[in-house]
Amino acid sequence: MNRFGVRTGNYNSGVGSSGNVSGSSRSQVAELFVKKILAHLDDTDPSKLNEFLSIFNPNGCKVVINATPFAQPTSFLEQWETGVTQTQHALTAVDYHVIPGSNTVVFNVNCKVRFDEGGRDRVGQDASIQQDPQQPRNALNRTRPLWGSYFGVSLQVITEERVLNNDSNGVILTLNYNMVYKPDDSLMNI
Amino acid sequence: MNGANNVNSINMLAQQQQLQSRVKIGVRNWQNATVQDLMNFLSRTTRISVVDAVVEGPLVVGYVASRADAESLLKWNGIRFAGNNLKFEILSGTGNDAPGTNSTITLLKNFLYKRYNAQTKMLDLGNLHADPDLVQKGLFSSMSTQSKMFPALMKLTSKEPQLVVESVNLSDNNLKDISGITTLAQTFPHLKNLCLANNQISRFRTIEVWKNKFKELRELLMVNNPITSDKLYRSEMMRLFPKLVILDNVMVRDEQKLTSIYSIPMKIQPFFFENNEIGPSSTDFVTNFLNFWDTDRMQLLGLYTPQSQFSISVDSSIPPSSVAESDQNPSFGYYLPYSRNISKVSSEKSIEQRLSLGPEAMSNLFGSIPKTKHHLQDMPDEYSMQTVTYPQINGFVVTLHGFYEEVGKPDADANNKTSAGRSRRFNHGHNSTNNRLFKKSFDRTWVIVPAGGGVVIASEMLTVRPFAANAWVQQSPAIQKVLEPQPQPQPPLAPQIDPMNPSFNASPPPQPQMGVGGLPVSMGVSPQQQPPMPPVSTPVPLAPTLQLPLEVQARLNPIQLELLNKLHLETKLNAEYTFILAEQSGWNYEVATKGFQNSVNNIPREAFIP
Repeated sequence: MNRFGVRTGNYNSGVGSSGNVSGSSRSQVAELFVKKILAHLDDTDPSKLNEFLSIFNPNGCKVVINATPFAQPTSFLEQWETGVTQTQHALTAVDYHVIPGSNTVVFNVNCKVRFDEGGRDRVGQDASIQQDPQQPRNALNRTRPLWGSYFGVSLQVITEERVLNNDSNGVILTLNYNMVYKPDDSLMNI
Repeated sequence: MNGANNVNSINMLAQQQQLQSRVKIGVRNWQNATVQDLMNFLSRTTRISVVDAVVEGPLVVGYVASRADAESLLKWNGIRFAGNNLKFEILSGTGNDAPGTNSTITLLKNFLYKRYNAQTKMLDLGNLHADPDLVQKGLFSSMSTQSKMFPALMKLTSKEPQLVVESVNLSDNNLKDISGITTLAQTFPHLKNLCLANNQISRFRTIEVWKNKFKELRELLMVNNPITSDKLYRSEMMRLFPKLVILDNVMVRDEQKLTSIYSIPMKIQPFFFENNEIGPSSTDFVTNFLNFWDTDRMQLLGLYTPQSQFSISVDSSIPPSSVAESDQNPSFGYYLPYSRNISKVSSEKSIEQRLSLGPEAMSNLFGSIPKTKHHLQDMPDEYSMQTVTYPQINGFVVTLHGFYEEVGKPDADANNKTSAGRSRRFNHGHNSTNNRLFKKSFDRTWVIVPAGGGVVIASEMLTVRPFAANAWVQQSPAIQKVLEPQPQPQPPLAPQIDPMNPSFNASPPPQPQMGVGGLPVSMGVSPQQQPPMPPVSTPVPLAPTLQLPLEVQARLNPIQLELLNKLHLETKLNAEYTFILAEQSGWNYEVATKGFQNSVNNIPREAFIP
């Protein structure tokens, strides 16, 4: 992974140098962690919910989505699972700073997201009213998502510094997720 | 119109109407270019097209479509073209008061208003051949005439912004297919209800052109069309119209469920502040910071400690073309050498190097990226901000989303400096078009720690991305009203008081206020809460001699009005010329006064207040 061999210690920024992971691979860990958050957001399997919840800090964690605050990560996850159709996030930019003396890391992330606009919710139910069970089945009954156009997202995450040592258990302290651009041809109202 | 009941007669009438109302104009001082160049320049700049242009002595003489066009052309008097100031004059014109202008267009316009119900927002185009007016004029007696009628009507409708249409009735029109009315989808993309009952539509294929068009269509009525007896009728209509709830008076979708599927519960809003104290102080901070960032970045270095970090990350992903105003061909040449986007930059060494630590490293970086202009104060709607507390450092995190203009090249240009030193990689295919200056969208996050009456920036991360219209401005005025704290009806471009900066008074661009030590004075996080000024849009009092047409005045913001007023009083130019002066100077007072002084001897007498 590390093309430059051992560069430990060259990352002489004076910022929390806890752990024995070199500066370079820390950035790879950082990127993987961000990808993990996005993968959780896209997951439609309700049994994975607890896994997602476990990366939020249990003793107070702030979640802001589109400038709407959530007191608890659980209430956010519930709304996300029940109120938002299937999503697909694609990472476009990550940067992070370790804040000296605080044991915390600030991530600045940009990604794009598209929604399943096929008219089905996360568990595959659509809104149609069955009028006649003998009605011929047609394309409406597909289960494959019909992806709409991409929305732009800006995401800021504050975590505990141990996330860079590959420990993502209860690390998220703040999650600020905001859409920054929207396509006109989407069926979604935001 | 006696019996010539075909479409040609409509076209002919329309042409006659056009010829009748057109106005002859003349252009002076155009001599340094060809007539074609002049025409191109005029249509590009003024958006008014001049036709049949010929040279008559010192003038270029041509025709514009209407008296209104001619009048608005006059407002461009003095505009620079090929080294001269153009002068426009109206040579003759019938105006619209000539007898017998009761032409087809007027007729159709009147018809539209007769058939429009403002209360129900319904445009009733049902049973057109039974309309006594249309029949009397012979416009609706043959099928071919009728098929051309709809596009004409639609075109007219789209030019009448006061027609807010949610429902259209097209029943009883003998329609065999929708080929004549396809333009309905362009004219009313947000149509909610459509009635096509009592026609002869029989095939799905004709309706297919409306797929992905009426995205808000809620109710469709097609009873008494052969198509309704098809087995696939219901499912096909549901496929074509994803938000269709009622089809032929029958509920086909659960509306509540549908709404929840096509919306996300967290409705987007431009601002979030975790508590009341950090709202004003963080807006103050951001406003002051960006003022300095735009005017003199190096003044900001005092806000960083040797441990403070700053980095830039370029998100070069292009937004979909369906994002309004999105820049599909952005250039990041000035930023890429510094981008610390770790999902794109593979060199670990670069990732290390591109983190600026301490004021010295930052000053290098500050000088290496383009000069900017943010519009926090004059275009507050273009910005969105979230602020949350950060207990681990006793501070807070401010995130601002918005856009800036690139107004100048960086002081230090890394592309020129280093390309000679770097081998091969940068030596081919690199050209300066990568360094085009344009607008950029950005997301910027500051980690701020209050310290000793002021603040210290512990960390700052900037994402630069292609310009795109933002997601948080709600298009619908109805929603806008709900979001506004004080529901004061405001014209779309009317003066607004800046929510980002409650104490903002409409004055020319703020001069940076400097403290003794070169630090911004008002940077301190003041704990005292400034009561926000009520957002009342007080009109700027204008000098009585500055008589601006109301529609011009409505388009201007308070800063512009004040600038006009000031220029007017100082130059004694009349309203028209003051406006031209202001506009030509890019609404910059300095440029305007200088420009006035330079050309005061060439300005005609009639330009001044009598």
